[in-house]
This record gives sequence, structure tokens and C-alpha cells, in this order.
Amino acid sequence: MAAGSRGAEHLIEMRGITKIYPDGTVALRGVDFYVRRGEIHGLLGENGAGKTTLMKILSGLLRPTSGEIWVNGRKVSFKSASEALKMGIGMVHQHLALVQVFTVYENIVLGLKAEGDARLRIEKLMEETGLKVPLDVRIENLPFGVRQRAEILKMLYRNVDVLILDEPTTNLTPVETDELFETLRRLKNQGKTVIFITHKLREVLEVTDRVTVLRNGRVVGVVETSKATPQQLAKMMVGREVVFTVSKPPREPGEPILEVRDLWVRNDLGEWAVKGVSFTVKAGEIFGIAGVEGNGQSELIQAITGLRRPEKGRILLEGRDVTGFPPSKLYRMGLGHIPEDRQGLGLVLDMNVAENSILGVQRGRRFMGKFYNLLWSSIRRHASQIIERFAVVAPSLDAPVRSLSGGNQQKLVVGRELSKEPKLIVAAQPTRGLDVAATEYIRKLLVDMRTRGKAVLLVSADLDEVLQLSDRIAVMYEGEFMGIARPEELTREQIGMMMGGYRLAGG
Amino acid sequence: MERQKLIESLYRFAEIMVALIAGFAISGVIMWLGGYDPIKAYRAMLGTSILTTDPYNLAMTLSFSAPIMFTAITFAVGVRAGVFNIGAEGQMYVGALGAVLVAAMSLPGPLYLPLAILFGSLLGALWGAIAGVLKAYKGVNEVVSTIMLNWIAFWVVEYTRVDLLPNPRDPSKTIEMPEPGRLPILLKGTELTASIVLAVVVTLLSYYLLWHTVLGYEIRATGMNPRAARYGGINPERAVLWSFIIGGIAAGLAGVCEIAGRPPHYAITTGLSNLFGYGFDGITVSLIGANHPLGIIPAAIFVGGLTAGARGMQIVAGVPLEMVKAVQGVIIIALAVPGLLRLLKTRLTRGGG
Ligand SMILES: Nc1ncnc2c1ncn2[C@@H]1O[C@H](COP(=O)(O)OP(=O)(O)OP(=O)(O)O)[C@@H](O)[C@H]1O
Ligand SMILES: [Mg+2]
Repeated sequence: MAAGSRGAEHLIEMRGITKIYPDGTVALRGVDFYVRRGEIHGLLGENGAGKTTLMKILSGLLRPTSGEIWVNGRKVSFKSASEALKMGIGMVHQHLALVQVFTVYENIVLGLKAEGDARLRIEKLMEETGLKVPLDVRIENLPFGVRQRAEILKMLYRNVDVLILDEPTTNLTPVETDELFETLRRLKNQGKTVIFITHKLREVLEVTDRVTVLRNGRVVGVVETSKATPQQLAKMMVGREVVFTVSKPPREPGEPILEVRDLWVRNDLGEWAVKGVSFTVKAGEIFGIAGVEGNGQSELIQAITGLRRPEKGRILLEGRDVTGFPPSKLYRMGLGHIPEDRQGLGLVLDMNVAENSILGVQRGRRFMGKFYNLLWSSIRRHASQIIERFAVVAPSLDAPVRSLSGGNQQKLVVGRELSKEPKLIVAAQPTRGLDVAATEYIRKLLVDMRTRGKAVLLVSADLDEVLQLSDRIAVMYEGEFMGIARPEELTREQIGMMMGGYRLAGG
Repeated sequence: MERQKLIESLYRFAEIMVALIAGFAISGVIMWLGGYDPIKAYRAMLGTSILTTDPYNLAMTLSFSAPIMFTAITFAVGVRAGVFNIGAEGQMYVGALGAVLVAAMSLPGPLYLPLAILFGSLLGALWGAIAGVLKAYKGVNEVVSTIMLNWIAFWVVEYTRVDLLPNPRDPSKTIEMPEPGRLPILLKGTELTASIVLAVVVTLLSYYLLWHTVLGYEIRATGMNPRAARYGGINPERAVLWSFIIGGIAAGLAGVCEIAGRPPHYAITTGLSNLFGYGFDGITVSLIGANHPLGIIPAAIFVGGLTAGARGMQIVAGVPLEMVKAVQGVIIIALAVPGLLRLLKTRLTRGGG
């Protein structure tokens, strides 16, 4: 065994890791990161702290600018992800890397030598880990949670000892999250080591053994989870106390801004996703929609924001019938839309920050001249204002948005939409993937919008978020509202029941 | 960020150099196996086209660059919108037909050229728009439709040439563009006309369009992520259609310039032989130029030089025409391969999502 290594205790030792991206961004500054054999190790940190970068280095996708990696007491230097895989290290990315048009089975065995008993082995693995996946269904036809299981299975099939999961729970429903944690515990019992990136303190406390906290490319602390409190972890991450509640001054709602009347919408498969929903959002009000994801919230939002045609019913914006209007028209009438899928919908990842800062308002008078020419200086000024006001960390205005960390991408979208000064903000999962500080900040912005008399329609899978921010709440189940009420009129139990399909009595 | 861009351009440059060396090496081996001296051949080829100070040779190179610069724009604008528009060939034919139709009219002299340009680009745009509408609103694969439209254009133009607009003095071609409708020759005794000026201007305009107008922004956004484009208030179908129309205009102008600006014919010849192939060459030029207007200019001049150098290779180095064609083909393919791979890669990964 090489000198200086404590391989017996630590399966992985990353020492003095520094990473400078080609554009000069310093993502990591001398990080020491140790993982014990057989533990579930949490990796916490603000958006842009360097978590993904560190894990990409460990899994061979990026090479450190300096620093050493020791695995099992041996110094290694990975030139590719497949070399890391050979050493038993595999990473499941936040945005999964499966081939959409292949089946689960094809994805799992992709790139490996054909083995006669591959299927048997996979089935045995599913048995052992509890990761149940239909092998012969194409990835594109599976819900996100199942895809993720497929990806984990793919890694386990390659005999990884160390499984890295980058924000695995952001796109999962609460039930799927519980199932994932169950799997992780089972893997741990089988002797696997897991590294788990998340922004949700509750998840860290629930499932990890130890936590490393990163801030601004440095390690600020390593703690035993059993001895940690959420306040302490949040403080370590952000460097100051974090308030977990947003203060909300009372406000009388004004005129109705958005009215939805008996709306019926189909999903991509032609099934009814929204079945006769009616509600009103008034100026100066946050209307929250809670519910387990996949109960028609996405289709409802798409219909309201012009991305999907409703089959029946009306949508009114400030009293004007806007049913079936295209997004461009709705934006001109004062709609702002923070979409749930920022990477697929809210941003053009290969365009730069400046270009993305005008998506949706590119034909606005501020950005377009008489000859349909783009007013670049005005656009750049606008982009810098968003970056400054919403604390987006971006290397430059010319950087492709792809190179921003996940949280900063989200801040850019939120900043762009709020700076339109819309009358109605439709915010879907606005704080998903954001760190505690950014979450706090964006919630505060939404409340500010409302207090300044804007109407806010909030859809979130995070029940705490909906309860905290909303003036009124609806719970959606299988395309219908189970009831509309003020948050203080409901107990968590009642909401839980409604999320499971029980109608609010007398509601 | 500047640094990243620099690194990226250096990388692209290295890529092109490697491809170039590989292309020359492979064709060198082919020539050597065929019993010809590759060094002498290359000397002759480049020495009579690009690496020379002789104005006549340079003029020849540039006159070959003009049409493929236009058709490269057709392909490049398509790629930016996320489509594989390989219909420049047919759009160029109908553009040329438009110019010949104008040539057949009796008009006051100064009207010939502007009308030919207008008519030719309009027909090119129309021909492009057919594939555009089919793609955007009917989901018809643009590769299939543009190939079919190329052949339809070929036969339509060939038919018209023979039956409607034959040249009374020369049965091998159509009516000629009358003297006042011709683009001025830039260097006496050569084929170089103002076509090249027009081609460069159109290329620069397409750069402006793509990066400095809203339409260009919307086309590029659509090409990179149509879903996000729709979210961004863009109508992706319309953006795709526009890309076909713009591409059709460029290809149509290629056709017009071959009629109004290419001595000695100033007409369409039998079997469309003075047009045939420029549309496809545009694809490789665009790929070599990274589908970027500013890359297309040097790429077109280089490929034009290969064509112009063919003569030198035959006369000076004694390499037969067939071998010359093979050499050109290998070099062009080698240069286009990196761009093609990149394009296919983004297409495949996107096709999944
Ligand atoms: N390809 C890249 N080129 C340049 N800079 C990059 C690149 N990828 C990441 N960065 C920068 O490196 C820093 C760390 O990014 P990283 O993605 O590791 O953060 P993170 O901790 O995973 O954040 P998040 O929680 O938001 O996902 C950020 O400032 C980011 O902008
Ligand atoms: Mg990350």
C-alpha cells in the first residue's frame, strides 16, 4: 500500500483538488474530500459551489487542474468515465444520459460485450436491490423516476462499488424519493458506497451517514449526520443564518387577473389530464396548486401559458378571453412563465447568457430596432441587470448557458421572467434544484410580486413551499381539484388526504 | 470567455489542418499508385489556383467560388434552423430558369439584370418553400423532399430548355442573357464577373441576418431547441419555413449568376451541364466552413481553387481528368468529415430528446 494513504478507512480520497475551467472559472480551490467504505455520504453546497464539478472529476468526466485522487489506497488518474467505471466508480447525472429510443434493457447492456445471461443477471440485480424496471419498454415512454432507476441499474450492472448521484431527487415525487432512499439503504447494506448530492436538508438528514459541505469551491466542513441540525448545515452552506420562513405582509386581493373556467385538457397520449378545473387568481394573491406530480398540473400550466390547446373551457386574462392564444400574444398581455423544465423549455442551452435573457421578449421594443435588427447593446445591458439583480453567477454574457450551474440557470430564468414586470406570473417548481439561500430569495421575490399587486400562480411539488407562500391553495388529483381553501384552514393531514384523492368536505 | 472561444477556434483550425493533410496524403497515395508524381501534381494544382500571384489564375479560382458560396449559405441557414436542406441544387436550377425567362423577354436594357435577380431569387425561394411547408406543417422529411424536388427541378428546367426557350443559333443551349443584362467582367480575358461580389455580399448579409436580426435569432433558437423556441413565443414552424425561403433565395441567386455572370454561355446548356453539381458542392463548402457565413467565404475559395487547379494539374503535371476528379473528391470529403460528424452527433443526440 502506498505511503500516506489511509485506504483502510477511506475508500476514496480526493486531495487538494483544484479545477479551473478553460474560460478561467475557478470551480474548486484545493478540495479535500474523503469517503468511507460503505457509507452514504452527502455532498451539500450552494448553487455553483462545485459539487457537480467535483463529482465529474471523481467519475473521470473532467480532469482536475491539480490534486490527487486515491481509490482503495491506490493513486489513480482517470482519463475517461470508462476508466473510472473500471475502478468501480459510476455517476448518475441529474439530467440522465440514457438513449431515449432504446429500451431499458438495451440501455443497460449498451457498449458491453454480449453475454448470454445478461438478462438473468439484470433480473437478479433487480431482485437484490428492489429496483424494479420494465426491461423492454423504451426509455421515452417511462416516467422520470423509473428512468432514474434504470440508470442506477445500469451502473450496478457495471459492478460499481461507488455510486454517485447528482441531485437525484429533484425530479422525483415524494413516493419515488422514499423508494430511492430505500434502495440506497439496501445498497449500503450490500457494502456499496454512495455519494449523494442534494439541496434538501431534510433528505441529507434522513439518508446520509456523513456530510461534506462545499462553499465557493472550498470544503467548509465535514459532519456526522447524526450530530447535525438543519440550521447548522444551512449556515455552513451559505455562511450566514438562513430564515426558513418568508414573512408575508397581509394584503387584500384585488381584481381577478386570471380566470379559468371548466378547463379540459388532454395529455400527449390523448388522455384527459385536466378534467373541468375552475379557479380565479386575483391581483395581489398567490394561488398555490399542490399535489403529487403527474396529476395534470403540467398540462394545466401548459394550457394557461399557451403551450397546449385546451379541448374545452375558457381562460381569461384580465377579463379577456385568451383561450388558445400563442405564448407570444400572452407575453405581450402580461404573462410571465417560469417553466418547470428549465433546460428543455426555459432556456436554449447552446445560446449564451445575453441571448437567453431576451427569450420571449426578443421582439420587444427595447431589443428590436426598426429593421428587425437586434439592439445588442440594449440586450447586453438587460442581461447584466438580471445577473446583478438576481445574483446569477455566470462567467460572462457570452458564455453558453450550458456552462452555468443548474441553480444559476434557474435564477436566470426566474430573473428574466420577473424582470418582464408581468401582471400574472405562472411559476412551476420555481425553486427546484436551488440551494437554501437562492430558494429563500426566490420565494421572497414571489411574495414581493404578490404584495406589489401581481397575480401569482404557483405550482410546486414541495408542500412546504405551497403552504408557506400561498394565499389560497388547491390540491390537484387526477386532473381535478379536490378543494380550494386558505392554508390556515387546512391541516397537513387533510392536505395529505386530498393529495390521495379525497375531496375536501363542504369545499 | 474570450479564452474559451480562442481555444475553440484553435481547435477547429487544428481539425481542418489535420483533415487537409489527411486528404492530401490519401490522394497523394492514390496518384502515386496510379504512377503520377503527387508533389508535382499538387504544385501544379495549387500553383495555378490559390498559391499564386497570377491574376488570371486567381480570377479563375474566384469565379468557381461564387456559385458554391451561394449554395453553401442555403445549407448553412438550414443547419442553423435544425434542418438538412440539400435542395440548393434544384433551387439553383429554377433560379437559372427565372433568369433565362427574363432573358427571353424584350425589355429595355437596364431592366434585364434587376428583373433576372428578382425573378430568379423568387423562384428559388418558392422552390425552397415547397420543401419548407412540407417539413414544417406536414412533417415530411426534408432530405427526401429536397432530393425529389431537385430531380423535379432538373426535368422541368431541362424540358423548358429544349421546348420553350431554345437558342435559335445554338441548339445546345437556351436563349442567352442579352449583353446589357450581364454582370460586368472584373478582369478582362477571364471568367471573373461581379458574381463574386454579389456572392460575398449575400454571405455577409446572411451573417447579419442570423446574428443581428430577430428572425435570425428565432431561426437559431429553433434549430437548437424547438421546444424552448415555442416557449419563447417563437413559431418554430414559421422559423423553419423562413430558413428554406432564405436558403432558396441564395440558391436561386447562384442560378441567376450562372446565367448573367458566367462567360462564355450566359444560358443554360444541355443537361444543365453548366449548373450541375454546384448545389451539392455547397453542402461540403458549408461543412468545411463550420456552417458559418464567415467560414464559408474562405471555404468556398479553397474549394473553388481545387476546381480551378484541375486544369493546371492536367496540363502541367499530366494527370488525367478522372484522376484529378478523384483527388478533388478525396480532399473535399476529408475536409467535410469533421463538420459532418459534428452535425450528425448533435442531430442524433437531439433526436433522442
Ligand atoms: N463547462 C463549464 N465551463 C465553465 N464554467 C463552468 C462549467 N461548468 C461549471 N462551471 C462553473 O463552475 C462553478 C461550479 O459549477 P458546478 O456545476 O460544479 O456547481 P454545483 O455545485 O453543481 O451547482 P448546482 O447546485 O447549481 O448544480 C460554477 O461557477 C459554474 O458556473
Ligand atoms: Mg450541480
